[in-house]
Amino acid sequence: MKQAALSHFNLPWLPITGLIIFVVCFTLYTYWTYKKENKAVYEQASMLPLEEAKSERRN
Amino acid sequence: MNSAVTHREGKLERFSYDDQIVRLFIIATLIWGVVAMLLGVTIAFQLADWHVNLGVPWLTFGRLRPLHTNAAIFAFCGNAIFAGIYYSHQRLLKARLFNDTLSKVHFWGWQFIIILAAITLPLGITTGKEYAELEWPIDILITVIWVVFAVNFFGTIIRRRERHIYVAIWFYIATILTVAVLHIINSLEIPVSMTKSYSIYAGVQDALVQWWYGHNAVAFFLTTPFLGLMYYFVPKAANRPVYSYRLSIIHFWSLVFIYIWAGPHHLLYTTLPEWVQTLGMVFSIALWMPSWGGMINGLLTLRGVWDKVRTDPVLKFMALALTFYGMATFEGPLLSIKSVSAIAHFTDWIPGHVHAGTIGWNYLLIAAIMYYMVPRLWNSKIYSLRLANIQFWTATIGLVLYIVSMWVAGISQSLMWRAMDASGKLVYPNFIETVIKIVPMYWVRAIGGTLVLTSLIIMVYNLYKTAKAGSISSEPVLEAYALDDSSLEPGASAHRKLEGWPMIFAVLSLVAILVGSAIEIVPAVLSKSFIVKMDVVKPYTPLELMGRDIYIREGCYLCHSQTVRPMAHEVLRYGKASEAAEFVYDHPFQWGSKRTGPDLARVGQKYPNMWHYRHMYDPREVTAGSIMPNYKWLFTDKADYQSIMKKMNVMKTLGVPYTQEEIAGSLAAAKAQALVIKDDLVAAGVPQAILDKEIIPLIAYLQRIGVDYGKSEVQP
Repeated sequence: MKQAALSHFNLPWLPITGLIIFVVCFTLYTYWTYKKENKAVYEQASMLPLEEAKSERRN
Repeated sequence: MNSAVTHREGKLERFSYDDQIVRLFIIATLIWGVVAMLLGVTIAFQLADWHVNLGVPWLTFGRLRPLHTNAAIFAFCGNAIFAGIYYSHQRLLKARLFNDTLSKVHFWGWQFIIILAAITLPLGITTGKEYAELEWPIDILITVIWVVFAVNFFGTIIRRRERHIYVAIWFYIATILTVAVLHIINSLEIPVSMTKSYSIYAGVQDALVQWWYGHNAVAFFLTTPFLGLMYYFVPKAANRPVYSYRLSIIHFWSLVFIYIWAGPHHLLYTTLPEWVQTLGMVFSIALWMPSWGGMINGLLTLRGVWDKVRTDPVLKFMALALTFYGMATFEGPLLSIKSVSAIAHFTDWIPGHVHAGTIGWNYLLIAAIMYYMVPRLWNSKIYSLRLANIQFWTATIGLVLYIVSMWVAGISQSLMWRAMDASGKLVYPNFIETVIKIVPMYWVRAIGGTLVLTSLIIMVYNLYKTAKAGSISSEPVLEAYALDDSSLEPGASAHRKLEGWPMIFAVLSLVAILVGSAIEIVPAVLSKSFIVKMDVVKPYTPLELMGRDIYIREGCYLCHSQTVRPMAHEVLRYGKASEAAEFVYDHPFQWGSKRTGPDLARVGQKYPNMWHYRHMYDPREVTAGSIMPNYKWLFTDKADYQSIMKKMNVMKTLGVPYTQEEIAGSLAAAKAQALVIKDDLVAAGVPQAILDKEIIPLIAYLQRIGVDYGKSEVQP
């Protein structure tokens, strides 16, 4: 049955497309995330849970 | 928060958080948590000793087990998710929840759904699809309440005062969108009545859609929201930022993209196409990376505060929860490897793995966030650190007993199933031999579960006393700048900007999960070309269809599979390996996921009618040592012949080739077939009055399972 299933499956490009989409997306967001100039931004973003609304007043 | 936005000069706004809704969800979490675990302990003892079924229909294992899983996932974890999300969402966005009325509708609507589940499932009103057993009116209600939650959630984002959307909220967004997609697609069914429907999918397609749903319910209901909570509450409790925010971004995108592909690992060695099985296995193994990335990120956030982990119950529970998350997400991909799955699938190893996740990860993280939120929301201090410590150790010991006993039971039984002697015969040809050997492990599991339940009750008491000692003050007024142009970041990168555009971000998250879903499911559902049709496979007769509904009602699929894997020991034990074409009329499929009892794919015509009669009345009459409950009500309750025409009409709509003549004559045909079975039973000494009872259609169905292909000359 398995051979039959494989022989009837005529869309081999489908999983390959999925793989390509994943690799491209992974490369792109890893590049963006680990760009040097973004380091400070993300370090500050990580502080968000520790900020309380009451202490929001700045200037 | 941004270095590029150090001076904001916008309008300073005053607001308050809606913490009352969080308190309500916390109370619901604790109540339903006790109920869910009490049900779990009950069914654990039912497996250790069948007498605990008490002979009452709505208390039997087959009806309580779906209630246990639904209560644990959707009531206990669900309410905890909503409590944690609403608490953290408001604080991360510096905004009150979008609409107080929507919050209340969400809370009371969800509790109403849980109560409906608690009523319908013990009554046997079920779709027969694991973790999606609730019938269509409740499915619609779930959709409505989920939309209410989504509107409230996204409305809050729109009204936020913080431009950056913290990574925890990304996990919440993925949860909301994916659960909606999963629930709607898996719940597509055609109603027969208010309490009965049939899945639009059949056989292999139904199996694939169901386990795409089932696996991703774990992923997007028990994992992503809890990871979001972890990314908020661990830094809060440790009072330090997450170890690597950039790793959390990689964690998020990789997890949501990869997780959705992994469902087919529940169907290895079935008649699912080989390429889908392999795809599911490969992506399951790939899941190691994001899962462990997240776990390590959480644990390393605790660096520098390990001294507090010893004394602070919040950190202590979080550290243990993350440890169990690491263990469970190591074990999951391991079990997805085909050769490991061949041993573990259908055994107790799987419930052991599942509970490492649900108790070890979900319950312990819930305990952590409850110990964090309750003192703050009730303006109090934790009542007793000693009780929290006792809870910690009780839960840990209970869980270890649970997991280890299930490992031992699962591996032992699997090895016995496949044991063959030098002449190629099964060493344990009687399935019951392999059950009796592992019953002591069922007792250990029940004791372990009882300890876990006890630990939860200790926490409920501790939190009750904590809340009682405190007070609920009026909502404090807070201040934050309105979100205006002063919060914009000049020269930000594309991904950075994306993090400030919630709707586009949500769409991209949706695309990430839909890519995997479409590639795996659409061809399988739309293209029936991979199923080689068999002329010998015919639709069920009206009486068999009635019997199948009784089989589904009693939850037989929870202990008996209906698919023979292409393995020598399975073919020797059960008969010909299953073929996809055998299941084309099965709405829904009934392959099951556990063999507490033997597989039934080839049970049709294996035994005489009288054997089934005696077996359902008292299984021990024909199988000494059986742990199956008695089903004596099947011998007194009348079968529902009146709805058979409606059922066949729905099946015809779904593509089952019944003719109009067959449908019109279905009542007469059912009664004629019942008469034949009755006469056979009466000849063996059964009273005539059995004719109109439920046991007759059930026997008709059991005698039909797997016969068309199994008894035919057709070879694979």
